[in-house]
Amino acid sequence: MRKFAMAVTTALVMAGAGQVLAQGTVKIGAIYPLSGNAASAGQSSKAAIEMAVDIVNQDLLDLGDLAMAKGAGLTNMKGAKVEVVFADNQGTPAAGQSQALRLITEEKVAAIVGAYQSGITLTASAVAERYGIPFLTPESVATNLTERGFKWFFRATPITSDLAAAYIDFLKERRAAGKKIDSIAIVNENTEYGSSIAESLRKAFGANGFNVTMEIPYSANTSDVQPQVLQLKDKNPDLVIFVTYTSDAILYAKAMRSLNYRPTMMLADNAGFNDPAFVEQVGNLVEGVINRSAFAPGNPGTIPHRINEMFKAKTGRDLDDPSARAMMGMLVMCDAINRAGGTEPAKIQAALKATDLKVNQILTGYRGVKFDEKGQNILAFTLITQMHDGKYVPVWPAGQASAPVKDYVGWR
Amino acid sequence: MSPILLQVIVGGLLLGAVYALFSSGLTLIWGMMNVVNFAHGDFVMLAMYVAFWTWAIIGGGPLLFTPLAAFALAVLGVVVYFGVVKPVMGGPMLAQMLGTFGLALFLRYSAFWAFTANFRTLPEDMIPGSFVVGGVRFEAAKVVAGIVALLLTIGLHLLLTKTRLGSRMLAVSEDRQAAMLMGIRPDRMQAIAWALAAGATGVAGALIATFFYVSPTVGETLAVIAFVVVSLGGFGSVPGALVAGLLIGVIESLSAFWIGAVYKDVLVYALFLVVLWVRPQGLFGKL
Amino acid sequence: MARFVLAVAIAIALVFPLVFSGAFYERVAALTLLYAIAASAWNLIGGYAGQVSVGHVVFFGCGAYGAAVAYSEWGLPPIAGLPLGVGAAVLLAALVGVPTLRLSGHYFTMATVALAELIRILVGNVPVLGAAVGLMGPAVPRSVWDLSFTSSLPYYYLFLAVLAGLLLFTWWMERSRMGFYLRAIKGSERAARSLGIPVGRYKLYALMLSAGFTAVAGALYLVMVGFVDPDSGVGILLSVKMLIMAALGGAGTLFGPLIGALILVPLEEISNSLLGGQGSGVTFVVYGGIILLIAVFQPGGILAMVAGWWRKS
Repeated sequence: MRKFAMAVTTALVMAGAGQVLAQGTVKIGAIYPLSGNAASAGQSSKAAIEMAVDIVNQDLLDLGDLAMAKGAGLTNMKGAKVEVVFADNQGTPAAGQSQALRLITEEKVAAIVGAYQSGITLTASAVAERYGIPFLTPESVATNLTERGFKWFFRATPITSDLAAAYIDFLKERRAAGKKIDSIAIVNENTEYGSSIAESLRKAFGANGFNVTMEIPYSANTSDVQPQVLQLKDKNPDLVIFVTYTSDAILYAKAMRSLNYRPTMMLADNAGFNDPAFVEQVGNLVEGVINRSAFAPGNPGTIPHRINEMFKAKTGRDLDDPSARAMMGMLVMCDAINRAGGTEPAKIQAALKATDLKVNQILTGYRGVKFDEKGQNILAFTLITQMHDGKYVPVWPAGQASAPVKDYVGWR
Repeated sequence: MSPILLQVIVGGLLLGAVYALFSSGLTLIWGMMNVVNFAHGDFVMLAMYVAFWTWAIIGGGPLLFTPLAAFALAVLGVVVYFGVVKPVMGGPMLAQMLGTFGLALFLRYSAFWAFTANFRTLPEDMIPGSFVVGGVRFEAAKVVAGIVALLLTIGLHLLLTKTRLGSRMLAVSEDRQAAMLMGIRPDRMQAIAWALAAGATGVAGALIATFFYVSPTVGETLAVIAFVVVSLGGFGSVPGALVAGLLIGVIESLSAFWIGAVYKDVLVYALFLVVLWVRPQGLFGKL
Repeated sequence: MARFVLAVAIAIALVFPLVFSGAFYERVAALTLLYAIAASAWNLIGGYAGQVSVGHVVFFGCGAYGAAVAYSEWGLPPIAGLPLGVGAAVLLAALVGVPTLRLSGHYFTMATVALAELIRILVGNVPVLGAAVGLMGPAVPRSVWDLSFTSSLPYYYLFLAVLAGLLLFTWWMERSRMGFYLRAIKGSERAARSLGIPVGRYKLYALMLSAGFTAVAGALYLVMVGFVDPDSGVGILLSVKMLIMAALGGAGTLFGPLIGALILVPLEEISNSLLGGQGSGVTFVVYGGIILLIAVFQPGGILAMVAGWWRKS
């Protein structure tokens, strides 16, 4: 026991040694799933946040009006540099909470961003609330997060109802263009992400005269998806919507090909079908799939394209939607700290509340960033994209589209 | 019978064959040595990576990477036997679980560290195409996996029951002391058993990689069902694993099609519990 | 001598968090005790009776969900759900114990795995239990009875008291008739039966007791963490952790699970803190590697090793 206590002390001292702050550095914590089933997404978000820090710390002139791009470091704080401290939530709410506590009390971070999975954002932000440290989630969508009466919690991402509204508007246009959408099937994985998106979609479709005729929930990380595909093939609905993680998305794409099933119109909600690994390796099996994304690289010469090139140079893969939202979330946080002019939590909190980023200052497809009294970004929005020749391009809304919508092709 | 339903059943049988293929190595170890290998799923994962990298680096196909994976895993099996299993065999059963659990985490995250968490897939044309018989589509990659599962099962079963090596291995698993008195070297026999089991697992992993995705945590996805397959069939019974695998595959497919994909595993687990209630030694096991 | 060691250990446990202050380390200490409770509860059936369950997380889940439901359904403080959780766990143990405890060795283990997975899937589809989204405790404490503290120290001492109670009970059980029966059953069921021991009944008692205490750990978990979903409350990995901690320290010994938790929980938390941020997976390479080494070099658990030294000196 005593030996153990000594070992722990040694570990503490060692952990403490790395903490000496460089002069003029602001530490921000970032909690992501860096191991476990969601690690692939977490690692990509980590790279995106590192790039956001580069954007802040370097004086980049070719990124237009993007928040924090001009000027090196936090310009209102004598060019202080931002340092990000990553922590692994290991995919469990308890670990997320432990790490939030460590970031606040040991690393003395000024603010935290994270934590990908909604359940972990929930527990980690509860710690930040207790300690009065601003917590911003760039990507967790569960509705209850902003319903807790928290004062230190902010959310930059669109939530499920925003996404459903975007789909509805898009599908209404398709209908007006003469496409038949009388029957809709929703295939969703059955954890928090899939089931809450499916529920939002079901409600929104019902309220807007769209008929959800089939719902196929299934367990994530399944070993086989053929029966689900056969159910779809049997009923052949006009529109099929997939809400899945990467592993299952790969299996669906392969199963649809091997069972020779091409839906008339196919829509995939983000996550799995948006994973760069999916796009790169099986994207050619789902040509014409419609997706949503807050980010689309666009044409050469545009700022999103430039950012995607920077990300590609760093990681070797394209910037995907959740990672783009993570990057944006980090920039929003840095912008607030810069305007706060210091690291006192209350000042950062006030600056976050006063955030008013315009469309030209952000890299994601939001209409801006502005928080309501619950901490939700009321200007959050998403683009609709489509797989064209193995790459997603924005096809809606018209102002941001770079190609017209086409019919589903599948594989060639 | 409607063609769709027939397709569901065929899909279930092919899936079941994959389960059987996945489980044959596990049941061999379990039956021969009474060792629960928590790292089994991670063995399969490593075999899948052998297949993937063989293709990615030198462009080799299944004819090259399947034997390669079998060999690599057989070597790993022997190393694991002498490095991990043999030292813990003397301890309580829990020590084996502890050891193989530690090994599982170690292997899984070593792969994670070396290959990152990115999902990878082999190209579609590794074992290309699918063919249609009587309105039912057969995916070539899975048919190959199914045939190999069948051959592997028959091969292992014959080896255990008809050859001198097999009877020596069984003798060691029945009574180590007595086997030693008869001049059999238990260490050698058990190392061979591990090499065989891990080699079979290597074949399984390589073939599954042709139609599945590869990631460091992929073993977990398949491992729980493999444990159910093995115990439903009866520990140590290679034909039992085949029958149980096929049974579970068909039940999963039919229940996913009829009742709903969420509940397919509920049905499998419930059935498993009922079988144990009636036959506590599994379908083909000995008490 | 043994008494002296025990007294020193208790003294250290009491003052430890006061000496090593720092909110994060207090939390690690509290979590260590929480897992020690769960592992010690598992030890009753898995260690003493030798029935290796890998499904104990369902009893843990009973406690966690019982506490969560007390808040979400009736607006009570979560801890008020403790009796509900414990009751549900004991009842469930009685229901599943009768058919599964007949099974021998690995078949029992596999049955518990199947049961745990089955229940995890079902929980994910029950709206009252929050389905896939999960249930949370009170986001902002309403009264002191919500037991929602910023500091981990109150939890530390609460868990310490519960653990002490559980260990006292276990110590008493070891010496009672039941302890004798369980050891006999673990040694050889057939022999125990021929001695006239009601094997089935005592295994069932052990399972029910174990389930009840595991549910206590679950309820305490919810009180501290404030959230439960199917993966964190009924996920199989937690079962494995209970088993691993007990086995590492020494299954079927009074202090084994505590020793295991004292090693594994700080190891996991601190290695995650030092290495996790890299995102390279090294945390688990180290964690898995250390478990592997202990198993290989000390299959009987840490306590057996210490006992060995003790006898030599």
